[in-house]
Amino acid sequence: MNFVWSRAAAMARKEWFHIRRDPFTMSLALVMPLVMVVIYGVAIDFNVKNVKLAVSDSDQTQASRRLIDTFSSSGYFRVRRDFSPGQALDDLVAERARAALIIPPQFEKNLWSGRTAEAQVLLDGADNSTVVPVSQYVNTIQTLASERIAGADMRPPYDLRTRFLFNPELNSRWFIIPGVVVVIMAILSIFLTAMTVAREWENGSMELLLSTPVEPIEIIVGKALPYASLGALAVVFVYIIARAAFGVPFRGHLWVFGLGCLIFLLTYLAQGLFISIASKQQTLAMQLSMLTGMMPSVILSGFVFPIASMPKFFWYFTMLLPARWFMVISRHCFLEGSSFLELAVPFAALSLSCLAMTALAAHKFKRTLE
Amino acid sequence: MNDETVVEARDLVVRYGDFTAVDRVTFTVGRGEIFGFLGANGAGKTTTIRVLCGVLPPTEGRVRVAGTGYEDGENAIKAKVGYMSQKFTLYNDLTVKENLDFIASLRKLDAAYYAKRRQEILELISFKKGLGAFVHELSGGTKQQVSLAAALLHDPEVVFLDEPTAGVTPAGRERFWALIRRVAESGKTVFVTTHYMDEAEQCGRIALMREGKLVAMDSPAGLKAAAFPEQVFEFEPIEELSFSRMTAFQNHEAFAFFEPYGHRFHAAAANAEAWRHWRPELEKTFRIRTIAPSLEDVFIRMVEDRP
Repeated sequence: MNFVWSRAAAMARKEWFHIRRDPFTMSLALVMPLVMVVIYGVAIDFNVKNVKLAVSDSDQTQASRRLIDTFSSSGYFRVRRDFSPGQALDDLVAERARAALIIPPQFEKNLWSGRTAEAQVLLDGADNSTVVPVSQYVNTIQTLASERIAGADMRPPYDLRTRFLFNPELNSRWFIIPGVVVVIMAILSIFLTAMTVAREWENGSMELLLSTPVEPIEIIVGKALPYASLGALAVVFVYIIARAAFGVPFRGHLWVFGLGCLIFLLTYLAQGLFISIASKQQTLAMQLSMLTGMMPSVILSGFVFPIASMPKFFWYFTMLLPARWFMVISRHCFLEGSSFLELAVPFAALSLSCLAMTALAAHKFKRTLE
Repeated sequence: MNDETVVEARDLVVRYGDFTAVDRVTFTVGRGEIFGFLGANGAGKTTTIRVLCGVLPPTEGRVRVAGTGYEDGENAIKAKVGYMSQKFTLYNDLTVKENLDFIASLRKLDAAYYAKRRQEILELISFKKGLGAFVHELSGGTKQQVSLAAALLHDPEVVFLDEPTAGVTPAGRERFWALIRRVAESGKTVFVTTHYMDEAEQCGRIALMREGKLVAMDSPAGLKAAAFPEQVFEFEPIEELSFSRMTAFQNHEAFAFFEPYGHRFHAAAANAEAWRHWRPELEKTFRIRTIAPSLEDVFIRMVEDRP
């Protein structure tokens, strides 16, 4: 095989003309990263705030008012007063409130007479996304309220203090945006490569290309270069937004992150090429890249859903997905400042996927041409 | 054309698994010849062309194109041939210049040579629009001409044209064939496949393919003589024929060949005695004229009618 850079460069130049003149490709490359960062960075927030709390206070005492005040001053709840427990429940059922606090009569009396003063918190169990964080808030508020109502005497015999490393405020944007990098790169690289090679098959130009002395590897490299550049540009773009607009810290080494990006990009470019060769049709290539590229990188990479809580089969299955490993690299580079050695396992797994996918695509391409 | 052989296929076989796409095909084509390749879809024409273009090594047999073959390296043949496919002309969203620049870069043409050659070729095809014109702005016929120019940029000895005029207007097809003749006159060998019989008539020689095999090869006149040693007639119905009557005539004992040709029919007698016997009866239904057989008749008889 005789690789000639000038031929690969000619392919890349031609591809660049296609990209520049195709509104779909341009918008996918330029607008999609912006839209995704905005959607994931601004609209999606795991930090549940301003939870509407329907409160029924049948005690109407200083102690009950302090309990309610502890909820409202926490910043997590917005209190809505109701006249009866039934009305509070109705508000919860009708989704006018997402939690209800019911304080029975005798609350204060029980408190001062040494009996346990009971109040009830009702949560909408059907709304799984809020019920877990809200119940955590309730636990914290319970401790705080005990201190405020009963004074220092009520303090528990031990003091378990929790500190969150790397993301002290548990800011979900810090967690999400390094993951958005993975999703954007996955979509850009797999989608565009799958489409561009399928287009050459579909309109018959692949046959013409192969009738010239151009080598298949020159076609692949020439086609991949502009899309790899677009992918790299998207990463820089997301990195700047992450740092400047969302204040996400970057504690690792840029070269480690860059190397991870490069290997991940190559893996997905190869996967896009494989899809393209196997399908030879743009529509099918688009569907397959959606199925095998976009969905796993969103659902099975740990981007939103934690891999640790997946069933055993999926836990093992995700090991085959390059997005899972790059997700680890990206988050660790941004938030934990991990070194290359600390990320040796994800790097090794990602490199293995890259080699396997490149070999598979090259083999399929060669077989198809034969 | 002179006697120098430029394309040679000897016992060419191409198999895809169990399927034999090209089965022991042998032929030669001389310099400056316009060689037509006819056959139904799937007959093995494109596969043969792919082998001759250096894209697909044969399973068996030997191929020599412009003095080179697969044994001289995988790109040896590609450097000597130009190829223009039926489906693809040029990239529509690129300008004429960008398309030609791209092909020149893939062929690694020297910049000075390319500039001179591009000028020559554009003059040959009488291209009047500017090089900055986008391909999607060109008519179908002009696109094909520019596509041919791209195939000729590196001055190949042989050009393979795979159904080059599919979808082009009749006037465009005529202009394209005038161009093909000029290319052949300049010493290039033109190897062309077509579904248009009037185009095939313009070839010096024609090879007919069927199910991977070469069933006949000769000049258009030679093929007609070989396919129809007997007299051929044109039958014009005096009144419109029903489908059942037409089918009855196709199976009539008077005919060895009876095929529709527009509103008329082309026919050949089964034998002289039957013809003498049936002609008066047939003249009640048809106006009968003696004609020379067309290539379409040859194609139907030699390719489609064979069991």
